[in-house]
Amino acid sequence: MSTALAPATTVAVALSRVTKTHPHGVRALDDVTVEVPRGSFLAVMGPSGSGKSTLLQVAAGLDTPTSGEVLLDGTAIGGLDETRRTELRRDRIGFVFQAYNLLPALTVAENITLPLRLAGKSLDRVWVQYLVDRVGLGDRLDHRPAELSGGQQQRAAIARALVARPAVVFADEPTGALDLHSAAEVLDLLRDLVDDLGQTVVLVTHDPAAAARAHRALVMADGRVVDTLEQPTAADLAGRLVALREG
Amino acid sequence: MFALALRLARTRLTASLAVFVAVLGGAAIVTGTGVLAESGLRSHLPVDRLAGAEVVVSADQTVRPSADLAVALPERGRVPATLVDELGRLPGVDAAVADVGFPAAVLDAEGDVVGTADPVTAGHGWSSVGLLDDPEVTGTAPTGPEEVAVDAAIAAAAGVGPGDPVRVVLAGRASDARISAVVPAGAGVLVDDDRAVQLAGRPDTVDLIGLQVAGDAQAVADAVRPLLPAGTIVSTGDARGDVSLPEVAAARSLLVVLASSLTGVPLLIVGFVVAGALTVSIGGQRRELALLRAIGTTPRQLRRLVAGQAAVVAAVALVPGIALGYLLAGQFRRLLVQIGELPDALPLTVGPLPALAAAALLLLVVQVAARSATWRTSREPVTQLLAESRTGPRTSSRGRYRAGLLLIAAALPLAVPPLLAQSPIGAASTSLAGIVAAIGLAMAGPTLLRRVTGGLARRLPAGTSAPGWLAVANLHGYAMRSAGAITTLAMAVVFVLTYTFAQTTVIDATTEETRAGTLADTTVVAPALGGIPAGLLGEVQAVPGVEAVAPVSSTTVLWPERLLGEEELTAGPALVLPPAGAAVLDLGVREGDLADLTGATVAVGSGGARARDVGLGDQVQLTLGDGAPVAARVVAVYDRELGFGPVVLSADLAAGHTTGGLADSLLVRTDGDPATDRALAGLTDRPGVTVSGGGVAGDRPAAPPEVWINLAVIGVLLGYLLLGIANALVAATAQRRGEIATLRLTGTTPRQVRTMMRREAALVSGAAVAAGVLVSAVPLALLGLGFLGRPWPSGPGWLLPVTALVVIGIAFLAIELPTRSALRVPPGDALASQG
Repeated sequence: MSTALAPATTVAVALSRVTKTHPHGVRALDDVTVEVPRGSFLAVMGPSGSGKSTLLQVAAGLDTPTSGEVLLDGTAIGGLDETRRTELRRDRIGFVFQAYNLLPALTVAENITLPLRLAGKSLDRVWVQYLVDRVGLGDRLDHRPAELSGGQQQRAAIARALVARPAVVFADEPTGALDLHSAAEVLDLLRDLVDDLGQTVVLVTHDPAAAARAHRALVMADGRVVDTLEQPTAADLAGRLVALREG
Repeated sequence: MFALALRLARTRLTASLAVFVAVLGGAAIVTGTGVLAESGLRSHLPVDRLAGAEVVVSADQTVRPSADLAVALPERGRVPATLVDELGRLPGVDAAVADVGFPAAVLDAEGDVVGTADPVTAGHGWSSVGLLDDPEVTGTAPTGPEEVAVDAAIAAAAGVGPGDPVRVVLAGRASDARISAVVPAGAGVLVDDDRAVQLAGRPDTVDLIGLQVAGDAQAVADAVRPLLPAGTIVSTGDARGDVSLPEVAAARSLLVVLASSLTGVPLLIVGFVVAGALTVSIGGQRRELALLRAIGTTPRQLRRLVAGQAAVVAAVALVPGIALGYLLAGQFRRLLVQIGELPDALPLTVGPLPALAAAALLLLVVQVAARSATWRTSREPVTQLLAESRTGPRTSSRGRYRAGLLLIAAALPLAVPPLLAQSPIGAASTSLAGIVAAIGLAMAGPTLLRRVTGGLARRLPAGTSAPGWLAVANLHGYAMRSAGAITTLAMAVVFVLTYTFAQTTVIDATTEETRAGTLADTTVVAPALGGIPAGLLGEVQAVPGVEAVAPVSSTTVLWPERLLGEEELTAGPALVLPPAGAAVLDLGVREGDLADLTGATVAVGSGGARARDVGLGDQVQLTLGDGAPVAARVVAVYDRELGFGPVVLSADLAAGHTTGGLADSLLVRTDGDPATDRALAGLTDRPGVTVSGGGVAGDRPAAPPEVWINLAVIGVLLGYLLLGIANALVAATAQRRGEIATLRLTGTTPRQVRTMMRREAALVSGAAVAAGVLVSAVPLALLGLGFLGRPWPSGPGWLLPVTALVVIGIAFLAIELPTRSALRVPPGDALASQG
């Protein structure tokens, strides 16, 4: 499996000197430069309003930067129209959200394979079966999202994010709506994907325990990266956040 | 609770707007109908010619068969002449003025007839000047057969003044006269009193008696009342206007008939549209409502909250809606006047009652609809609600499905009446059957749709594009939502098809029967003279090539019918035919002979006869147009009831019971030789006489007026229905922003989203047209069988394609526009604002 994800370049996502100013003059990102190496697990932390969600949206091509450049799997996002960016996202990016965002009208299996269907790609049954087994939903494929627990829905969303073999998976507070046990399961799953498949994952969270699963953690405040911690522990991160709040 | 309701209403603007528009339109329609109904019951004609008489005694022009609505009589009833002196001697009465009316017309120097408002009763006795408010007379009273007085309007139009010679046509007889006086406008043509009685042809009766009263009119009215014979009434104040022209006053009852025939369907549609808008609006708030339940709002409180919120929006919408309703009623009156169904003299009564009724009715509909739309959300366990709040309910209840199917089945017997009675009332049940079935369809819709789309999803070919596949999956997964859109659009289709075809089928069937039954090829009329003048019949008969002529009139009769055990009395049209009528009209006589129409005899339509269990040779009890009860022998039973009405009176029976006494028209059958036609056309030399090809029985229109009016009403209701549907669709689509954002984050391009939504629009509108046609098919087939003897209706061929196009167009626009607007928001933002 790992051969399928062999990197073409060593950097999955690169932001260089990215600034994002919102229409009302709020500077959500202020001259941010970040590189996410292939096969790495990056956590982005920070209090509310620190710019971490904007960072994710710009890095994922959901939004365009006011200045600076974003390279996604070697492709510059600047200058692409919405359709091109959607296609780029469809091919290179997987999303996992706090609210799961499965389509209620579709079954679990249909939700998971939807990106392939939209891209007009043929179904790799072995790969889909592998993913479904990996997230532990093999017996739930014909259910609708409303019939699943929160943890199950989030695991289905992770399978959907991976089905098109993306260069990066962006996870935005994926455990925010889950109980402790389900949250731990989801975080374990994400870390295993990095370790086993060499999948690049960018996790945005305000939970130090979640961020501690990452290889590297960025701490953001006021639109800037204020700290970078390698192999962080939950205690280190909690300390940084408290310091930020007090400073 | 109220403040919270207000806040909720403000945050859901699109959905609130749908409710607002639905209530606004509904209030306009209900108010408008109400104004028409109230005017029909309470409006008064201007007092005009009777303004100088404070108290007026006349025949009662209404029949009250039971506690039901009074039936207005269009032909002038009379009062005994002996009353005049008796009332004149009463204390407080300065003078009692007897008035008789007769057909009269004045010719100008060119020999053309000078137009008057009502030629049938333009002639009066000289003493009727005493009825005028302003008895300003220039000249002297007319005496003897050589003198007449005319009112100022006629004098000006004819270009004559006191002392000038003038040619007049009085009670159908032309003569030369001299103008003795000019009197104030509105008085008509006046001759000396004895001559007036002679011209009216009724020496012992007068049309009405005006009492000039110096003191308290009400006291005099009270004193007069006990002296009057039965069937005579006293009028004071505004009510005097109504007795001046009974025919016009009777037309007022059209407004009541119209309003009551309307109310059913508009109310159903208003309820449907308002309930639909509320369901969409409340559907959009499921999450808020679930959260409210989660924090401890009781089911009862929740229902109150939602109902309160809807009431706020409804209350705001009621104000402009009611104002619009009054305007609408005014427009409608103008239309009725324009097509000649309502006299211009009749004003609308503008009172607060329709507004109050509309407000009460709509608030009630809103309450019921809001509470029932919240029923499910308010009752289910909170956990399930929270899960559902993101998905919408998966299934509708089995009970609802069964009730819907039951309703569709119940619509079948409603569609049967056209087979039994070929009348506009029979046809009206066709539309009702269609609409009831459509409501059943709306109830059974979600379950039906889930079954159909489930099958469709399994049978989709492998190569189906992702958007198409998603569209089917959405219809199936959101069966409640999609079925709502489909069934409202189907309702519009059913409404248009059943309502319009019911009307056009009646028109065509009526026209066809009239055409087939009219042997005459030429019609002679003289409306400006108040009817066919004396001698014209003889002149027409003398034209070489004329094979048959018959004077024909139309009047009104009341023929009691037992309906559901109760005596029903409604005014219906009746032809007046002499025995010679059989030569110009073929009524499709199946028993008896029209030649026997002499003395107290009638011919009756077979359907009406069957309904009343009457046969040839039986006696029937009728009330004639002036209120006179008569017994008549049935001498013929005919089939062409739709074309010629349910009753034909012998000319002898009707004589003396019509206002003017002259025939409406002469129906002429010729040998078809052009020379004959030319000779007949030469009759137009006679002043006021018109000759036209083709025979029309009396002045009976080709189709009953309700038919035309109904067609006009369809337009208004349809506009409202479509607006309501478009609104609900826009609101429902706007609520799908979260779903669209999720799709885009999953990799759906904007183009794919648009394609998906267009496929949905195509499926929704296609299903709506198909369902609408299916539901309408049975009622329309029965309608066609009943009226035309073939299992399809008659009407414009373009109706179905145009309706389908409009439905498809609305579905596309109402889905495309909010989709485009949803796509303009970056998907990340859309999800964030979704909460």
